[in-house]
Amino acid sequence: MDWTVVSRNMDFLLGGLGVTFQLAAISLAGGVLFGILLGLARISSKRCISCPATLYIHFFRSQPLILVIFWFYFFVPVLFGKPMGTFISAVIGFIAFEAAYFAEIIRGGIQSIPKGQVLAAYSTGMKYHQVMRYIVLPQALKNMLPALMTQSIVLFQDTSLAYVIGLREFLRRISLVDSREVRSIELYFFAALVYLVICLSMSLLVRRFEHKAHQSV
Amino acid sequence: MIEIKNVSLWLGDDFQVLKDVSARFQKGRTTVICGPSGSGKSSLLRCINRLERFQRGEIIVDGLSVQDPNTDIYKLRENIGMVFQHFDLYPHMTALDNITLAPQKVRGRSRKTAETKALQLLERVGIEDKANSFPAELSGGQQQRVAIARSLAMEPRIMLFDEPTSALDPEMIGEVLDVMIDLALEGMTMIVVTHEMGFAKKVAQEIIFMDHGEIVEAKNTGVFFTHPDHPRTRDFLNRILSHV
Ligand SMILES: Nc1ncnc2c1ncn2[C@@H]1O[C@H](COP(=O)(O)OP(=O)(O)OP(=O)(O)O)[C@@H](O)[C@H]1O
Ligand SMILES: [Mg+2]
Repeated sequence: MDWTVVSRNMDFLLGGLGVTFQLAAISLAGGVLFGILLGLARISSKRCISCPATLYIHFFRSQPLILVIFWFYFFVPVLFGKPMGTFISAVIGFIAFEAAYFAEIIRGGIQSIPKGQVLAAYSTGMKYHQVMRYIVLPQALKNMLPALMTQSIVLFQDTSLAYVIGLREFLRRISLVDSREVRSIELYFFAALVYLVICLSMSLLVRRFEHKAHQSV
Repeated sequence: MIEIKNVSLWLGDDFQVLKDVSARFQKGRTTVICGPSGSGKSSLLRCINRLERFQRGEIIVDGLSVQDPNTDIYKLRENIGMVFQHFDLYPHMTALDNITLAPQKVRGRSRKTAETKALQLLERVGIEDKANSFPAELSGGQQQRVAIARSLAMEPRIMLFDEPTSALDPEMIGEVLDVMIDLALEGMTMIVVTHEMGFAKKVAQEIIFMDHGEIVEAKNTGVFFTHPDHPRTRDFLNRILSHV
């Protein structure tokens, strides 16, 4: 055992963790925003809006994430007409994929708001976007915060899959160091430890939120 | 004035909720609608401000046909207040914010103007001390009075009430009815779905009895109680009046 392999490469590995966090954060923000739109579209009473959204959600939920990542890796350059780099490809792939999951959470959250409030709001002359913005979404987002955070943890772990397209995020860098120094046990143990600490602290945070949400009912 | 002309409404899997319903509601008058559960009373009210879309017939409010694509339904709804059985206050906002939201966002009033008006309304419905309470901290009767204030804040010309007291404990019914009686006496045009026949006798000029999606009987209040034409009306009256 030689644990100095970790400290010797700490800067390189932390840099990778930085990439992981960036990827997770951007995908999360994009996924939630796109997910809100998808979720709203899914429950729209207009068929021409709800049908495509439903198809989209079913499609992406049926695909393995790794395939989606590969797919966008090849597709994004075609879409933009020039190579955009692995990071951008990964971000777009993650947003497209995660939005389908967030959409379902958001749909549940929106449907948990009593219809009467929506009717009451409309009866005062409010428009759809106002009813959503002032009445439905503030309550729905609060109700689904625990589910959203749990999905965010999954998203954080999933970012490691971006290594398949060569993105130098945390796990990719672990394996790069390993191929140079052949210290698999130490390096992968360290990687596991890092994911454990980060995800555990996030779930503890979720638990506190769940507790709070429970108390406020 | 509201004119309902031969309205038919189907919901779900072709269930006919309203069957060729026609009625007129004059300005400044109060009409009570009663009838058994499932007879289509709520649906009829919701058709008036197009919260429900009907398939046949026409409804004209202040000269505008509600389902005409050229009618600005949002503008029309600003003038039609609606109060619901289960109050449906926004639980994440204080009573004051419940009342000031639409005036600010829909009518474009400043917060200050909206709040001044809201406080006046809360005083009028007798709960000015509850301005900063959340709905969960209020009794049913208080919540319903906030809901009425929320509608009145838009300065509607017409008020629709859908069983405003039927979810209330008996001791709170009076406080809500008192507010409604004041409104009626001030000349508000009101359509009230209720089984509170005391209220009907006191302020309604007309009473409509609905059953199975049809208007069975529509009469001046006095005649309605003393000389109902239809056996179904008499049955219904016997049941609800003997209940009290
Ligand atoms: N979405 C729907 N699909 C099918 N049927 C419906 C739907 N909504 C309501 N109905 C039916 O329409 C009928 C009329 O409903 P409505 O709520 O207008 O009656 P109501 O007179 O207000 O009754 P209540 O006194 O119970 O409030 C009921 O039989 C109800 O079951
Ligand atoms: Mg009803």
